[in-house]
Amino acid sequence: MQLFDDYKDHADFLTIYVREAHPTDEWQMKSNEKDKDDVCYAQPKTLAQRVAIANDFTQRFKYPVPFGIDQMDNAANDAYAAWPERLYILDENGYVAYKGGNGPFKYDPKEVRAWLASHYGEVKRPEPAPATPEKKS
Amino acid sequence: MSSWQWVLVILGVLLVAVAAGLSYMAGSPRDAIGMVRYALPHMHRGNLQVGSAAPNATLVALDGATTFKLRERVAGKPLVLVFGSFT
Repeated sequence: MQLFDDYKDHADFLTIYVREAHPTDEWQMKSNEKDKDDVCYAQPKTLAQRVAIANDFTQRFKYPVPFGIDQMDNAANDAYAAWPERLYILDENGYVAYKGGNGPFKYDPKEVRAWLASHYGEVKRPEPAPATPEKKS
Repeated sequence: MSSWQWVLVILGVLLVAVAAGLSYMAGSPRDAIGMVRYALPHMHRGNLQVGSAAPNATLVALDGATTFKLRERVAGKPLVLVFGSFT
């Protein structure tokens, strides 16, 4: 997660895993079936199931961001109107400093980056090297 | 046709138009049904605004046993919260 790498010295990050967006027993997306990594899970009915999926995710992607799992009463999800995905920034005193739009269409990490850049400066990344054209024999 | 029949025809046309629009938006009729049945009941703006005190939900760590309060992670720096799931 590039944003985490760029600003982890200035801000803390916490990923909160909430109820599944496209489980196999609800609204499964075709893209999940076609995904080469097979992202097919039923909606967890127990905390153990939710924890298992969360661990699969973090291990599969070697996810470096600190992680928390919403309990089965979905308290965090409901309090933050998070489903299916949303970004927030809390300030140093625990107040909402930024509330992102609801995903998928209004979920925009660039807004979080802009907020962090306005407080801590922009992190410029080197442009990727252009692909070398293949030599014709 | 009587006026009632016209009302039914117009409602039918509107229903088909709405279904077609949702299907287009969602990608397919199956996805439109999924969106209406599973997404719309869960998507909402919520009550939090900039300046609101952050709710202090209890979360579970990846070990499945340890719990912590969300605001315990506020420690002298801004805290970026990334809500989401795997699918």
